[in-house]
Amino acid sequence: MSLRVLNPNAEVLNKSAALHMNINAAKGLQDVLKTNLGPKGTIKMLVGGAGDIKLTKDGNTLLKEMQIQNPTAIMIARTAVAQDDTSGDGTTSTVLFIGELMKQSERCIDEGTHPRFLVDGFDVAKRATLEFLEKFKTSVVMGDEPDREILKMIARTTLRTKLYEGLADQLTDIVVNAVLCIRKPDEPIDLFMVEIMHMRHKFDVDTRLVEGLVLDHGSRHPDMKRRAENCYILTCNVSLEYEKSEINAGFFYSNAEQREKMVAAERRQVDERVKRIIELKNKVCAGNDKNFVVINQKGIDPPSLDLLARAGIIGLRRAKRRNMERLVLACGGEAVDSVDDLTEDCLGWAGLVYEHTLGEEKYTFIENVKNPRSCTILIKGPNDHTIAQIKDAVRDGLRSVKNTVEDEAVVLGAGAFEVAAKKHLIDNVKKTVKGRAQLGVEAFADALLVIPKTLAENSGLDTQDVIVALQNEHDRGLVVGLNHHSGEPIDPQMEGIFDNYSVKRQIINSGPIIASQLLLVDEVIRAGRNMRKPT
Amino acid sequence: MREPVTVQVGGFANYVGSHFWNFQDELLGLADDPDADPVFKNDALDMDVLYRSGETHQGIPTYCPRLVSVGSRGSLGSLSSSGNLGQTSASADQLNVATWQSGSVTRSVSKPHGRNLFLQSLVEEGQNPSTSNGASNSQKSVEDKDLIDCLENNVNFWTDYSKVQYHPQSLYELHGSWTDFDKFDNYGSAQEVVSDWSQIEEMNERLRFFVEECDHIQGIQFIVDDSGGFSSVAAQFLENIADDYTNTPVLLYCVRDPMTLGSSRRNQRESIMRALHDAVSFSKLSSFCNLMVPIGPPSLSRSYMSSYLYIQDEKPFHASAVCAAAIHSITVPFRLQRTGPSSDLAHSSGNLDIGELLHILSDQGQQNMVTALDVAMPAPSLTDRDAMGNIEMKLHSLTPEISDEDEDPYSVESLVVHGALDKGGQRTSISQVKDSVCSVYEARETKPKFSHLTASLCPLPVPLPFPSIFRGNIGRHGEILSDHAEESQPKGSLDIESIPMAARLRSSSAVLPFIERRSGSLQKHGVARGAIGSLVLRDWGFGREEVEDMAEHLAKLLGPFHPAMDLTLDSD
Repeated sequence: MSLRVLNPNAEVLNKSAALHMNINAAKGLQDVLKTNLGPKGTIKMLVGGAGDIKLTKDGNTLLKEMQIQNPTAIMIARTAVAQDDTSGDGTTSTVLFIGELMKQSERCIDEGTHPRFLVDGFDVAKRATLEFLEKFKTSVVMGDEPDREILKMIARTTLRTKLYEGLADQLTDIVVNAVLCIRKPDEPIDLFMVEIMHMRHKFDVDTRLVEGLVLDHGSRHPDMKRRAENCYILTCNVSLEYEKSEINAGFFYSNAEQREKMVAAERRQVDERVKRIIELKNKVCAGNDKNFVVINQKGIDPPSLDLLARAGIIGLRRAKRRNMERLVLACGGEAVDSVDDLTEDCLGWAGLVYEHTLGEEKYTFIENVKNPRSCTILIKGPNDHTIAQIKDAVRDGLRSVKNTVEDEAVVLGAGAFEVAAKKHLIDNVKKTVKGRAQLGVEAFADALLVIPKTLAENSGLDTQDVIVALQNEHDRGLVVGLNHHSGEPIDPQMEGIFDNYSVKRQIINSGPIIASQLLLVDEVIRAGRNMRKPT
Repeated sequence: MREPVTVQVGGFANYVGSHFWNFQDELLGLADDPDADPVFKNDALDMDVLYRSGETHQGIPTYCPRLVSVGSRGSLGSLSSSGNLGQTSASADQLNVATWQSGSVTRSVSKPHGRNLFLQSLVEEGQNPSTSNGASNSQKSVEDKDLIDCLENNVNFWTDYSKVQYHPQSLYELHGSWTDFDKFDNYGSAQEVVSDWSQIEEMNERLRFFVEECDHIQGIQFIVDDSGGFSSVAAQFLENIADDYTNTPVLLYCVRDPMTLGSSRRNQRESIMRALHDAVSFSKLSSFCNLMVPIGPPSLSRSYMSSYLYIQDEKPFHASAVCAAAIHSITVPFRLQRTGPSSDLAHSSGNLDIGELLHILSDQGQQNMVTALDVAMPAPSLTDRDAMGNIEMKLHSLTPEISDEDEDPYSVESLVVHGALDKGGQRTSISQVKDSVCSVYEARETKPKFSHLTASLCPLPVPLPFPSIFRGNIGRHGEILSDHAEESQPKGSLDIESIPMAARLRSSSAVLPFIERRSGSLQKHGVARGAIGSLVLRDWGFGREEVEDMAEHLAKLLGPFHPAMDLTLDSD
């Protein structure tokens, strides 16, 4: 072997050994994630060395937690995680699909087929399936008033695979309303405009949507109001704290009096800015019972807070940078960088601002806003791992709703698409392909069935019964999916089980690419320990 | 009150930080202890500056450092990342999962990290404080000895010897699914972590939590382990800090484990990677901070300090203790009571805040922002008029790769002396310290252009989990014994209560070789046409222009030392 001559330390796996290493890695990964799929999957509890608990059913989270070592498995996992990055869901499905493609290929290869034919077949089948998906999808017209029901169904389908039904249904409304709140016609949806805030307090079912904003800090002055109604909101990024200017650093004075003077002069500038704000407050709040709230991205020092408190203004300092944007969307007005030209137009409005204290943690709620374009999902839970799990689920739910709005289409779920696509491939596509590439198409078609099969398996049903029943119904021209309670075929449309179009598309797209690459590997070389990235 | 917020990023930085906070915790303990030395009692050092008070959900008051510590996944050992305040979470096997009812639950439990003897004793002490005081003293000291032995031989995590309570927001573990934190040894290895915005944002959030609480933040002191991928994480973090807190001064300590520098068995490729890493991380880190202090000589065991200290380089537990002591001394002026220039307090003088210190060192003279750190541990007795008393001679540099000669007429210094003793082992008063330091400086041939002195009576306390690194010639209060019998056994916290310290930050041409070397290696391996390292840099995600920018930045840092070169640059 020529490589041995070049580098005697290199390890080489050739031909079938290399292929089987890849196949086994794919199958291994599939086995790990298999039990997670669907609303009856297993949840995994990971306990770290220091007793930290993590609960997850999400393929994406699991892959990230597993610290995979095998290079092939890493390749597959990276594809699956990339799937999550682009579309927000479908990680487990991707891994299952890739694993199944490899498994089906193994059978053919053991019978003597060259991987090349399979890869050609995959390619044909992939294109055909994508075309089929275009026909199969259910279009949803978004328009100005999106169909709330369909969005709810999509969100429910996603959330029920991550949380128990009661909570999932509660979150369904929350995520749908959140996305509709931030949606602007003809603009892409920016999910960052949904703030996700958590409080370790009460129970998971106390999670709610706040139309407005929740900040994780409160005012730092004892005399400021803890609750105010009818508030003007000033969103600003102006330093209201005394900072030493560069030239007058403290050690250049020679007596106490001089120092006092210097400090006073510098202090005056800050006070001036505070006074501008107070002037505006007096102008807009004169003669009515309205209140005034300043939310500043920079600091506000105690003397400034004092001035503000005396003027009856609530002041919050060091707001998150992203909250500046959210505040403007939620309350209106604009974020100002200087206090020079303050007018009433700069101000936002909120019906209610109040502070909530939990131990040392303070939260400020800004609610009852007019026409919000930003909102907060406030997650509550008794402990950190529950909160983390709900957070992951909420994020996936938001993504699924966003995808639907942007795709303007959904796909029937519960395995209906996979069974239909398989039928299409076998009945129509396979005939058009000449030669042994047919085997590839067939393997691809069989691999699609991994989704309904696994759903059935996880629900404790007999896989073969279920698949036969589903295929019979499809042969009769009915589009059906799997009822995971009874094992009977159901109409997903009636049950409201829908998947994201973009997620499905992505799975069909990326799965065969990786599988093909892995199948065409005929030599694995590990030379030295410096090859850090095996991909 | 002006508060600094501390940030620690990376493995060795957390080792150093852990010692640093142990000192603070010891100071807090001594201030309350009726039997302790009265120098610890007067409130010369304002602890509120570094600590915040709060309360847990249960209403128990807490007192925690204003600290954000960033480490890799699993680097916390037996400490939970939610800190050690409040309740311990219910054990995992009894827990029922409320959020999932329709399917089954599989558990995968990794082997718990056991608490070592020291941590166990802390937990016990917390549970029954009455017995720990009242119990027979003889029995207790035996126990203490066991604890120290246990720490000497068995420290795997920085949390193993930490006795401080951390706030739940303080500890953050980075995770990268494809990043191998065991091989986190160059700038490029953190690419995945840095590109994951959610982790970077989470770090910013943690910091914002502490900053929001401060009425007047005086600055951010940032300790980074710049020997590996963490310097990339830190650079990203620093960049965000520079954006978000525009006028807040940042004081950066770059610490290094002596072992990471020491290994000589490298092939050419590795040594080029190493040189490039040093150059890139130096360039990146220095561009987002106001003052940079590189710490980490290649070997402490063979340094000048070895006549007083017995340090085993291979133990990060040892080496980090010296760095932490030096950093502690540097931070002393930040929390002294604020006084006018004329009024003298009996216990301290010469307070500074971070901004002022940075201003003194980097804005005057040569406009140089890289300073060397020198330390005398223990500080010599000052009132001696012979060579022993020459504090100048006893300060030894912790900054690597600097030149020994110190004849720069433009140098600027800040010297901190605390807890100094006189020849008889008595504490010297502040005015004595001032006089003797002045006389030393008077005698120097080349005097620095500007020198600031901070003096405090309060020495460095030696907490129980401090490593046994003192040689036999150190006395109970850190005095240097001249007539000691040569003992082989190093002394630790049981034999030594406190030690006087002197530390100095020096901005002078001595750091020139340090910068030159980095600038040179970037030129040679990165910028030059056909350089071998350019591929490496591309792997790390730097385009050609970025590399040139970095090289230019390094050249700019050299500028202050070469006024002539500065001119030629301008004419280009």
